[in-house]
Amino acid sequence: MEVLFVFCAIVALIGGVLCVVQRNAIYSLLSLLVSFAGTAGVFFCLDASFVAVSQILIYAGAIAVLFLFVLMFTDTRTVLGMGTPRVVDSRAVFNPDAKPEAGTRVKRFVLPNPLAALISLGVLAAMLFAIFKLPERFGKFGPLVEGEGLARDGIVPMVQFGSASGITLVTFQDFPLAFEVVSILIFAAVLGAVLLAKRHTAQATEPEPAVATEDE
Amino acid sequence: MLEPKIVFALAAVLFSVGLYGVLSRGNLVLLLMSLELMLNAANVALVGVARYWAGMGGAADDFSRAHSGQFFTLMVMAVAAAEVGVGLAIIVAVFRRKHTSAADLATELKH
Repeated sequence: MEVLFVFCAIVALIGGVLCVVQRNAIYSLLSLLVSFAGTAGVFFCLDASFVAVSQILIYAGAIAVLFLFVLMFTDTRTVLGMGTPRVVDSRAVFNPDAKPEAGTRVKRFVLPNPLAALISLGVLAAMLFAIFKLPERFGKFGPLVEGEGLARDGIVPMVQFGSASGITLVTFQDFPLAFEVVSILIFAAVLGAVLLAKRHTAQATEPEPAVATEDE
Repeated sequence: MLEPKIVFALAAVLFSVGLYGVLSRGNLVLLLMSLELMLNAANVALVGVARYWAGMGGAADDFSRAHSGQFFTLMVMAVAAAEVGVGLAIIVAVFRRKHTSAADLATELKH
């Protein structure tokens, strides 16, 4: 289990780093998928098999496809790292000649941003310091125990920690309200997403006021 | 040896990688992806704490409550999915108007 944990952790870390530094957004998305798969393995090693499966289902199955759709929708030229657009009349336009010259290769990785690196390394140092200062009892995981599920026909089944039955127990015994609230939240989010992304035909053709550019 | 501190350290490193991505990328879609990375790091820490609690050997009726961390991880996933849905819709709306998804060009509120 330790070997699997270390392997999955390294996969998750490499995927995350590649997601952040790669210039091509499609490659970034694929690295993010690798990172999520590694994280699912980490969940599995921590006896959270149901969470691991839902990680794969939700992130790899749903969210990644959504990201891919939007990447295809939006401008592939900034996505592929072929320069940034100019702003004309408060709209971004691309120079059609901005293709990379024949001899030069488009760089694979973006340049490191020193300020962002400084801030994130500082946050990392603070968090690692706090983890290092944790009390001694955080030094090891205790042994797992099986728990009792819901009685059915007078028989109380034993439930493994982290299985679907265990998650069901905690969802509907301890936190039913949170479950309902999340369903309302997702409903509102779906409505909002549809409303935001809907094409407003009257507004879309209307040109933007030119005042916005004069201020600059 | 698998221990809670290592799990927390992994979560911290993943979180700071995501933070670097949020701070350094200019593309809105890549920014959201880095945000997902940060939420995922929080999930790792939550699952680690849930496993730690399950190994503490509490009372019998604590068994379902020891799953709290895992339940909360699922909640975070649901909220992240909702956030990504709305965020990507906003990106599509911005793209309709500005014909770009570069974050630095959405500056209407700056003036």
